[in-house]
Amino acid sequence: MKSTLRNIVISGAIALATTNSAFAQTGQTRTLPGLDSDALEQWGGEEGIRNWVESLFYYIMLDNRINHIFREFGNIERQIFLNTQLEQLVLGGDVEYQGASMEAAHADLGITVTQFNAVVEAAYNACERINVTYEACNQLIAALAPYERVIVTK
Amino acid sequence: MVIKNLFSRRTASALLLTAASATGSQLASAELFNTGKVLATGGVSMIDGAGGGGITPWATITGYATRDGINGDVHYTYANLPNYALNSLGVAVGFWDRFELSYTKQILTTGSTFNTVGLVTDTTSSAGGGAAGEATTAGGEGDESTNPGIEPFNTTIKMDVYGAKIRVFGEAIYDSDNLIPQVAIGAFYKDNENTDLLKTLKANKAKDWEAYISATKIFFPINTLINITARYTSANQTGLTGFGGPDGNEKEIRPEISIAYLLRKDTAIGMEWAQHGDNLTGESVQLGSVDATEAGPALQATGLGGLSGTLTQDESDWYDAFIAYFPSKNLSITAAYAMLGNITITPEQHGFYLSLQASF
Repeated sequence: MKSTLRNIVISGAIALATTNSAFAQTGQTRTLPGLDSDALEQWGGEEGIRNWVESLFYYIMLDNRINHIFREFGNIERQIFLNTQLEQLVLGGDVEYQGASMEAAHADLGITVTQFNAVVEAAYNACERINVTYEACNQLIAALAPYERVIVTK
Repeated sequence: MVIKNLFSRRTASALLLTAASATGSQLASAELFNTGKVLATGGVSMIDGAGGGGITPWATITGYATRDGINGDVHYTYANLPNYALNSLGVAVGFWDRFELSYTKQILTTGSTFNTVGLVTDTTSSAGGGAAGEATTAGGEGDESTNPGIEPFNTTIKMDVYGAKIRVFGEAIYDSDNLIPQVAIGAFYKDNENTDLLKTLKANKAKDWEAYISATKIFFPINTLINITARYTSANQTGLTGFGGPDGNEKEIRPEISIAYLLRKDTAIGMEWAQHGDNLTGESVQLGSVDATEAGPALQATGLGGLSGTLTQDESDWYDAFIAYFPSKNLSITAAYAMLGNITITPEQHGFYLSLQASF
């Protein structure tokens, strides 16, 4: 009886752990309600995403509230490359993400909600800059939003 | 020369000290004041002063502070209805995106609404007056129990509203992968100054509290915000015409809903509904010691028989359709069409509503 209970607890813990690792960038983010089936097409596919990520970093590096964090992290080109993969993935693109999990990548940075929100503002600015519609922009916002729980640690 | 040097050195160090303390205070204020919320996510100010929509408090904490600081706003709302004009002016502060405090002064001018009531009071007291025909003038110098609280022109209702709200759990914006809303509980204490008029309208109390629980969530995939509120109250017209009625002051749970569609990062449109009570529905007005209905014969005698029927009160649920525009984090402008239905003895109270919120 006791061992059954223990098994349940352990399998529960494993399930939780797998959920967490599934959360770490293996596919489209499961939002409620779900994302549009053509979300990535609304973005103009890989090229559109790449344009957005470049614009995003343009606005981030102009924002004195947050640019130092990204500068310290270093290698902006690499960050743009990995983000282009990640953003396609969370919108349902069939790509492989080669970077670290969002949790691992931000664990030691002590990011605040205020700083996270500043990146969200940059995200909207980037959408406007590349003429992605507000509705399409919100598909990506929805797909990335749950990362707030692991990125914000302070 | 030496003295001069010494002097300039002292000045320099004094300047340095000033500079250092300025930096210090700037750092301190940077820690306390915070405007880190994303544009529009602080919501606007509802008429009772809480953060929310137009007529409904939301679970969001007012102002632009995240959990890293404090932020607040001043707000002014004007609603122009056929028989009334509502002015609502107040201040609210949000603390660490956790709780908020608010104070709002509401001033409702009633135009000619109660002139009929005043006229009837005048007439009935004349008709039923003393043998020598010593008529008491309307709202006159008689004892307090017979003062209907109606001014000769433009009777004005004033109410102070104190509010507090605490966020209990949930994340309205970022938890897009579950359906758990942000939930807050809050309360208002409302102090209506017009005790005499409220007696005329047969309200049970002029001061009372109400409590609410709100659940708010943004659904980004469909660009929509939904808020559902349950308010535990006995208010008549949010307290502007008092609380409770002739049958007592029993509070009840009344639902309210706001739905907003996000058009752009700085613009939202939507609709709201708030259920109202019926404490005074079907009630006449109390004219001094007599009910308007009972005063029928006296009115007939003076040729004003038709009036008693028009003095019956009614209350409708409130609806509004709004557009909110956030040109910057320092300002929001909300324009709405408010459909408030019956208010006291006047029907069809629909009109435009404008609300400004300035954040600091």
